[in-house]
Amino acid sequence: MLVNRADSRPINVLVVGVGGQGVIMVSKVLAQLCLEQGYEVKQSEVHGMAKRGGSVFSHIRFGARVWSPTIPEGEADVLLAMEWAEGLRWLPSLEPERGIFIADTRRIVPPFAFRNRRRGADPAYITTRPDEVLDRVAGGYAIDATREAEALGNGRAANTVLLGALSTALGFPAEDWLAVISRFVPSKTIETNRQAFHRGRTVIEAGDLPDLSAPPAAPAAAAPVATATPATDRVTWRIEPSWCKGCNVCVTICPERCLALDQRKVAVLAAPDACTGCRLCEYLCPDLAITVSDGALSVAIEGAASPQPAAADPGSRR
Amino acid sequence: MTAMTKIDDRFDVRSWLREALFPHFLCPGCGHGIALRALVWAFHDAGIARDRLAIVSGIGCSGRIGAYIDTNTFHVTHGRPLAYATGLKLARPDLEVVVITGDGDCLAIGGNHLIHACRRNIDLTCVMLNNEIYGMTGGQVSPTTAEDRWTTTTPAGNIEPAFDACRLAEAAGAGLVGREMTLHLPALRDLLVEGLMHPGFSFIEVISDCTEIYGRKNDLGLPAEMMLCQTGSLRPDVYTSTVDQPFRPNRLRTGVLARSDRPGYLARISRVSDR
Ligand SMILES: Cc1ncc(C[n+]2csc(CCOP(=O)(O)OP(=O)(O)O)c2C)c(N)n1
Ligand code: SF4
Ligand code: SF4
Ligand code: SF4
Ligand SMILES: [Mg+2]
Repeated sequence: MLVNRADSRPINVLVVGVGGQGVIMVSKVLAQLCLEQGYEVKQSEVHGMAKRGGSVFSHIRFGARVWSPTIPEGEADVLLAMEWAEGLRWLPSLEPERGIFIADTRRIVPPFAFRNRRRGADPAYITTRPDEVLDRVAGGYAIDATREAEALGNGRAANTVLLGALSTALGFPAEDWLAVISRFVPSKTIETNRQAFHRGRTVIEAGDLPDLSAPPAAPAAAAPVATATPATDRVTWRIEPSWCKGCNVCVTICPERCLALDQRKVAVLAAPDACTGCRLCEYLCPDLAITVSDGALSVAIEGAASPQPAAADPGSRR
Repeated sequence: MTAMTKIDDRFDVRSWLREALFPHFLCPGCGHGIALRALVWAFHDAGIARDRLAIVSGIGCSGRIGAYIDTNTFHVTHGRPLAYATGLKLARPDLEVVVITGDGDCLAIGGNHLIHACRRNIDLTCVMLNNEIYGMTGGQVSPTTAEDRWTTTTPAGNIEPAFDACRLAEAAGAGLVGREMTLHLPALRDLLVEGLMHPGFSFIEVISDCTEIYGRKNDLGLPAEMMLCQTGSLRPDVYTSTVDQPFRPNRLRTGVLARSDRPGYLARISRVSDR
């Protein structure tokens, strides 16, 4: 689907994503290409939070004459979202009648979305599925660009897959795109990026899109900020009651507030569901009474027979 | 060298302990227990086999923790562990010799041994648990007690300034000098590993807490509160003269504070031993 260029106003492309994805690289490629095609171009970006996996966005406007560098709300002809939640965040900026939405379904979960720090807990990440959104926009495409790029042998070429997808909306010749891209990527990766670009075009043109009712793609391990799927959710918290002196250190220090002292003044795991297995209580128990393990460590604790014969106290010499 | 964030799941503290002696004798919340964990974890991370290790400790609650470690341990006279350890190292240079001592043991009665061990740069690792008091004998003033604090021998408040043991050790010539607090257990473990790996004399000051005497009598809060205050507000100004690493809101200078590659004593003795 091509951007409707009937009127004389500039064409507006909004590129959004999070730090580290290449939002700026993608928009520089587009801006350079538009310049070489003889247009006036203005580009502006906000990338202050990029280093922390925060929101990054870039406005590119091109046409015979461009006055303002920013795209008015509701006037983006193309919204290119390199991260799923960022795409949803910026949807209102899309032109409602004609706007084209191209989104990577990859999720990059920011650290502050981990409200529940327990391993394996679901992050507070938007649950909206691609198929729920694509019907509401004039032209909508959701691609798992990272998977496409990985299939070509380099997951980092995902942004070039997205450039390929973007190229179908703007109508410049593919060879002109590739000429610009090859100046922006490391020379060793030019061939991979060429394939990635064509893959992005094919995915859109052939309608070779992933199953949209599926939840957005799981985050890649290589993503700058990502959820780690835990190998195991089993955390074992054990106490040696006869070693605990009830000093309350673990109770105070536990970040999840899940420990308490019982009537005997022995520490107990009062809220097992909240325990994240962070091991802070184990580290800072002055009496070495706590063991937190995830199955890799197997030591018999409570009630275990002492492995050594009872010896005399080392004796205090004052 | 281990990374600062290293978490080794295979480390099992209990395999290093004389479990029959547990629960240990320290008071509830005493920071020396955390130092005990850090030490054995550092032995594990440094890859030291327990029959290649010898611990020499002095008298005090601090020195007592050596007895809980399942390796070669010597619990010697008050103030003299460095002297014993020097002799042991000369006789058995193949052993990794580690001294566990207290602020009183190391800086008061043992102060001369300390400066001469530093001067010789004798190949030992000296771990001084600083709780700013003589804990074992009921709370007398020590060379690191902060000014104005109550102790049994300063009932109206301490008027003496405190030693900065790390600056003392550095000035006397120690090869590696570092300080860390029990609150930052992984950092303490990694610093101890650095000390163990360093040839020559390593002096590591561990900021610990005497909760039952120093803490209680000076109203410094419950054990956890005392530990959380290790980042600075409780400690004497002598410790705060230099800015710490960024992102550690900490008035105490911690980490490796001095390092030199001056040859250790064993390297020098081998030059003359054939003559
Ligand atoms: C020659 C000698 N003098 C005095 C003592 C008494 N004494 C035992 S422990 C100690 C001080 C311990 O203080 P420190 O080294 O800070 O250890 P802490 O108990 O605080 O860990 C003293 C003075 C002794 N045992 N031997
Ligand atoms: S920190 Fe250790 S000794 Fe203190 S209450 Fe907790 S388990 Fe018991
Ligand atoms: S491991 Fe310990 S400190 Fe961490 S959440 Fe669980 S109980 Fe709390
Ligand atoms: S007297 Fe102080 S230093 Fe000694 S065991 Fe008790 S709390 Fe620890
Ligand atoms: Mg002391």
